[in-house]
Amino acid sequence: MFYDLNVPWTANDTGLPRTLNFLYELGYSVVALNYILIGKLPNELSCAIPNPLPYKDLPSKLEIRRRITVTLTDSLQNARLNALAAQYDILALRPTDEKTLQLACGSLDCDIISLDLSQRFPFHFKIKTLTEAIKLGKKIEICYGHGLLGDSQGRRNLISNVTQIIRATRSRGLIISSEAKGAVACRGPWDAINLSAVWGLGQERGYEAMTKEARNALVGAQLKRSSFRGVINVVHGGEKPAPEVKAGATEKKGEAQKQKGQMTNGQGANGQKRKSDALGSETNDSGSGIPMSKTQMKKRAKKEKMEAESKAAKSTGDAKSN
Amino acid sequence: MVRIKYRYLLVNILYPEQEVQNKKQLPAGSKDSLPYTVQFRRPGPDSLNGKLLSRLIREGVADLFGDYGSGMVSGSLMVKYCSQATSTAIIRVARAHYRMVWAALSFMTSMPVKAGEVPCVFQVVRLSGTIRKSEEEAIRRARLQIRRAQRANGGDADAAVKAVDGAVDAEGDLAMADGIEDFEGEGDESDG
Repeated sequence: MFYDLNVPWTANDTGLPRTLNFLYELGYSVVALNYILIGKLPNELSCAIPNPLPYKDLPSKLEIRRRITVTLTDSLQNARLNALAAQYDILALRPTDEKTLQLACGSLDCDIISLDLSQRFPFHFKIKTLTEAIKLGKKIEICYGHGLLGDSQGRRNLISNVTQIIRATRSRGLIISSEAKGAVACRGPWDAINLSAVWGLGQERGYEAMTKEARNALVGAQLKRSSFRGVINVVHGGEKPAPEVKAGATEKKGEAQKQKGQMTNGQGANGQKRKSDALGSETNDSGSGIPMSKTQMKKRAKKEKMEAESKAAKSTGDAKSN
Repeated sequence: MVRIKYRYLLVNILYPEQEVQNKKQLPAGSKDSLPYTVQFRRPGPDSLNGKLLSRLIREGVADLFGDYGSGMVSGSLMVKYCSQATSTAIIRVARAHYRMVWAALSFMTSMPVKAGEVPCVFQVVRLSGTIRKSEEEAIRRARLQIRRAQRANGGDADAAVKAVDGAVDAEGDLAMADGIEDFEGEGDESDG
């Protein structure tokens, strides 16, 4: 199970079915279509990616998810970010400078932090900020697509950024994805793992970044949306299936249950009767409005107790004879 | 006397874009008639041979790793097998430096032909210590691909083929069989 959680989606992209087929051919089994949002959140929050997709010839075994990437700038109001996230399967944030990166790693609730690695950042990635994000279950994304198609400057920036991220995260909590703007920029999963190995991520870590970590991001995002505070999720309500027992057996069982029921009912009724009767008499008395003397109350209580006991003895005797 | 240790990379060449040259010959409607799996794994351009591939790899390594990389690789790099018809190649390289060659292959996006370039993707599908294992894997994969193509084609056309396929194999797995054979080359990662 290999994951590619970043396939850019634009409306009227005729090359998309080809890209998805190519990814399937390369050995990926889950891909996420990525809708990139720049600037203000729209007034009406809705999923921009139609479901089902308007293409006929998609591979049937390829699982397709929907993801949104919000570009973080200083002026962005993030009040409705959660409402937006509910429309998609995954929410990713793209910080543009140090301040927004800190915001994304810390307080903002997201699943993936995706930096544009083809540009040069005028700051160092701090271990503290990135590990904070990883502790919160956010993943940091490495996109190799720009490095393959871009010029050598972009490739240089990509490699430098990736090595810095690997250092700052201690190669944990990373995911590798393509961000391929066409089928040519896609690479096989093992090729991407080798690339990351050349860049300084261990082979095992690279493999995890393609499989386990990506799955964690996806499942975690799903849990956040469907469960109670991301802790408890109802997978199956425990509805009992319709009883399928033979007719004869049910009759026998039914009789047995009837007998049992009588016994328990009788006892239960007695136990309760005593109390309820006592209560009832009290309430009645209080209802008449005349205050009772203590001796009177004691007398009445004793009388009722006696009555109840005699009744109970009778009923148990009946039950025994049964 | 100690044997020099090599790695053999079994490479599949995929062509993600549609063939341009044949556009004139095909009628307009039948452009998409071929299933995708056949389109991607079509025969390469006529100019593809071992020499060209070797030159491309050397250029790629020099581009990515500079003089150091090309110096380290050039002694052992050799294209052992290159088939234009099946778009398959076996490349030999010293065990210590196979990652550089692999990275160079990953960074290739096109192949020169007579008129311009053809976009292509190199996928390493097997990394092994002996050439025999690579050959066996190449044969296994070719079989699977044929089966896959038949299945893709016979979805509505040939029921008989489909039935036979179903009996033989449920779903051919074209992913890398068991990953990378060993991790002995791990110590050389810092080279990159």
